[in-house]
Amino acid sequence: MSQEGAGAQEQAGPLGQPVPDRGPTAKPAPSSEGRHDDAARLGEGAEPDVWEVFRQEKDGDQMRHAGNVRAPDRDLATHYARELYSRRQESVRLWIVSRRDITDLSDPDLLQPPLDRTFKKPGGYVMRDKLDAARKRAAASDGSKAGGGEGGAA
Amino acid sequence: MTATPEGAAAPERRATRRLAEPDLPHFDIGDLDAPTREALSSLLLTMADDEFVLGFWDSEWTGIAPMLEEDVAFSSLAQDEIGHARLLYEMLAQLRGGNADELAFGRHADEYHHCLLLDHPRTDWAFSVARRWLYDTADAVRLDALRRSAFAPLAQVVEKIRREETYHLMHMDVWMRRLAQGGEPHDRLEKALATLWPDALSMFASVPDEGRLIDEGILASTMSDLAERQYEQLSAVLVNLGLSVPGRRPSWEDGRARAQASDSFRWLWGEFTMVHRLEEGASW
Repeated sequence: MSQEGAGAQEQAGPLGQPVPDRGPTAKPAPSSEGRHDDAARLGEGAEPDVWEVFRQEKDGDQMRHAGNVRAPDRDLATHYARELYSRRQESVRLWIVSRRDITDLSDPDLLQPPLDRTFKKPGGYVMRDKLDAARKRAAASDGSKAGGGEGGAA
Repeated sequence: MTATPEGAAAPERRATRRLAEPDLPHFDIGDLDAPTREALSSLLLTMADDEFVLGFWDSEWTGIAPMLEEDVAFSSLAQDEIGHARLLYEMLAQLRGGNADELAFGRHADEYHHCLLLDHPRTDWAFSVARRWLYDTADAVRLDALRRSAFAPLAQVVEKIRREETYHLMHMDVWMRRLAQGGEPHDRLEKALATLWPDALSMFASVPDEGRLIDEGILASTMSDLAERQYEQLSAVLVNLGLSVPGRRPSWEDGRARAQASDSFRWLWGEFTMVHRLEEGASW
């Protein structure tokens, strides 16, 4: 599994461009097509790719980032993801995404612009009473239809 | 593994998972007459021993497989086999009396009936891939002949086992294709196949009173027919992968015949019975 953390992601690709390969697997890459084939040869100095794995714990849940695996191709990545993130039946669905297909955006000018933005935050509004009232209304109309939802509490 | 944000968020829901039904269905041994019970027991013992011994051989890769990910995956496959063996030993214990642990761990090394394919030591990675691939392809043929067994509990258990074995086979197919690509992996793979070839069909040694199992609809085809089927499939795939093996068709009749346990199996037996032998009769 990759040791790469957020700290390794120093250079940002231009907005909308695929991230340059920076993982521990990074090596000079002639073309994006040839690289998969090169990496597919284990034991010849090629480091396997990193694949990010997302999992869904039960039907209806969000897909959450679970971690990653190293694998030289999509087939093995799928097998490894299955074993590492669902062998104890903890997932009902996995997404396996090659790290090179992820668009990485960490440019501070785009994400952390220097000007004051506090006016975009909702601070100062007290929502509690309004929320409570809304929940009661929702519960009342829900209760007349069905048993009412659990898990509505935010 | 990079840190997952999940841990920090809401406390993880630990769903307690209960099996909808027990893995081993309840059955009444009175449904089978004594000779059929005996024949079925012989078949189950060979299957259980095969799965059990393969599981322990492959667990020898835990900690030293080529990659961390493969280490976890291959160890998990090995655990699956032990799980299948447990089911089959439990079924056997119900048929013949005794208990599954005693069957699994309480026998002398000479009393196991695994096929000769499993008498070889772990050797290198290509060898373990080749062996498991030969085993999994053969096992798929054997399970297929049992999935509609007239003995319903066996059919049910086999159907569950098949779902896991399908995945095992996919995993091994990936590795066979990889190693067959060329260079040193290819050479090691061919060397392993050459060593294993005489035992490639050993799983299909006939079981005592096999005819009765076929008459009763418990087993769909004779072991000989299964061996022929396996041989044809095997040859086709190997040609496809560009792998050459000694041309002669392996025999299978003596696939479980041995005067005594091989040295490598005796060593493995020493490993997997070590804890059991510490304190005979203890419950763990």
